[in-house]
Amino acid sequence: MSYIVPIGPYHPALEEPVHARLITDGESITDAEVFIGYNHRGIEKLAQQKNFIQTLVMVERVCGICSHSHAFSYAMALESIAQMNVPKRGQYIRVIIAELERLHSHYLWLGIALHIIGHDSMFMHTWDDREAIMDILEELTGNRVNYGIITVGGARRDITPEQKQHTLEMLDKIEDSMDRLKEMLLSDKTVALRTQGVGVLTTEDAIRIGAVGPHARASNMAVDVRKDAPYSSYDDFDFEKAVFPTCDVFSRVVIRVLENYESIKIIRQALEMLPKGPINLGTRIPKIPAGEYMVRHEAPRGQLTYKVVTDGGETNKRVSIHVPTFKNAPTVPTMLKGNSVADAGLIIASIDPCFSCMDR
Amino acid sequence: MQEYRKISITKDEIRTVAQRMRDNGVHLAMIHAFLDENGKGNVSYEYEIDPAIESYTVEGENVLPTITDIYDLGAEWPEREIMELMDIKFEGVDTSKRLFMPESMFADQGGHILVTPMEDLINEKKAKEDEK
Repeated sequence: MSYIVPIGPYHPALEEPVHARLITDGESITDAEVFIGYNHRGIEKLAQQKNFIQTLVMVERVCGICSHSHAFSYAMALESIAQMNVPKRGQYIRVIIAELERLHSHYLWLGIALHIIGHDSMFMHTWDDREAIMDILEELTGNRVNYGIITVGGARRDITPEQKQHTLEMLDKIEDSMDRLKEMLLSDKTVALRTQGVGVLTTEDAIRIGAVGPHARASNMAVDVRKDAPYSSYDDFDFEKAVFPTCDVFSRVVIRVLENYESIKIIRQALEMLPKGPINLGTRIPKIPAGEYMVRHEAPRGQLTYKVVTDGGETNKRVSIHVPTFKNAPTVPTMLKGNSVADAGLIIASIDPCFSCMDR
Repeated sequence: MQEYRKISITKDEIRTVAQRMRDNGVHLAMIHAFLDENGKGNVSYEYEIDPAIESYTVEGENVLPTITDIYDLGAEWPEREIMELMDIKFEGVDTSKRLFMPESMFADQGGHILVTPMEDLINEKKAKEDEK
């Protein structure tokens, strides 16, 4: 018997609104459709009315998780149009915050995935560990969510020697707890039963649909903007692209564990090699000539793109924002096919979606 | 380091370029669009030629051929989003169902929120509030 099962736009298994329509044959999903846009706030439209600093503040609020990635990308686009050279110390501070953001985002996703599969004790453990990262972010930026560390031309806050020392000590503790978490995640029977062989996205499908970020890397695609098209100061650091071949939800768990180690490695190097000198080019509203530029940034969920067009005036002619979920959400129907309805919530969540980001 | 290279092409070259890129395994990063002062389209097909982006741009056209048969869903969502946000059409894309904007807005306003003047949007919101 064939049924159409609607999920969302508002559903207990979804953190944010999206609508999926599952076409089922008994318990099995035979096809699916996804509809987006329930959280559209007209941010691109608003960007056309605001000056560059106002837009910087606004785009940081596109997303509550990868807020720094948005401000970082927008600032890089303007700096490229205006051919500004961001001081090296400012670049390093940006990278440190970006990698801390990746860490807390990956911990957040791991916690949500564990919660969805019903492993609430490990969910609590994961989010408890995440608090240490949030504390570092608060100490370095003054904020836990929208950090406000970016300005056009650099960073807004410096890192003191005491903060540097404390962050390095905290990273040691986070890495220790990460070792324990890795052990549990990779050996737990419940995690294995609910994630292995579930929501498979083959490498061919990932390439065909254009998946990005950890979602693509979990389908054995070796793509990472930080390596493929380095920006800011990522060229200065030694780290690996994490790739895993099983293409299922378990693979997406493993990828995030592996990437946490790489992020810790990058933050340590950036702190230890933090160059001396200014952190920005001043905090006045910048003058941006007419031009256009597209920036790619490896946000926690994957490739984030900002295309900015300016006409030499005080506002943006066009700001076009495309987040990793926009590229990864079309993979959901493919992943759902052949799985049971009970796994639909987990499979949708496995792309680490941010629908507010996507709808902007 | 990242680079951005803009290359102007004609409407007739869109599919040839897309097919060449696809055959060479090049990832389509995004399709971007905006309307100029005269309401004419400016559509850019952004291809990842690492570490650069090659932006193949078509100017002055509001009806373009689709590349969804070449880049599949990687092109379908960007094309459908552009069609719903502004007055640019891609021939050959299934638009029978909404993707991004509410159906009511799509029907009433052509879905062109991005090019509707801000004052009109504010006035419309005020009118709705007054009705309540």
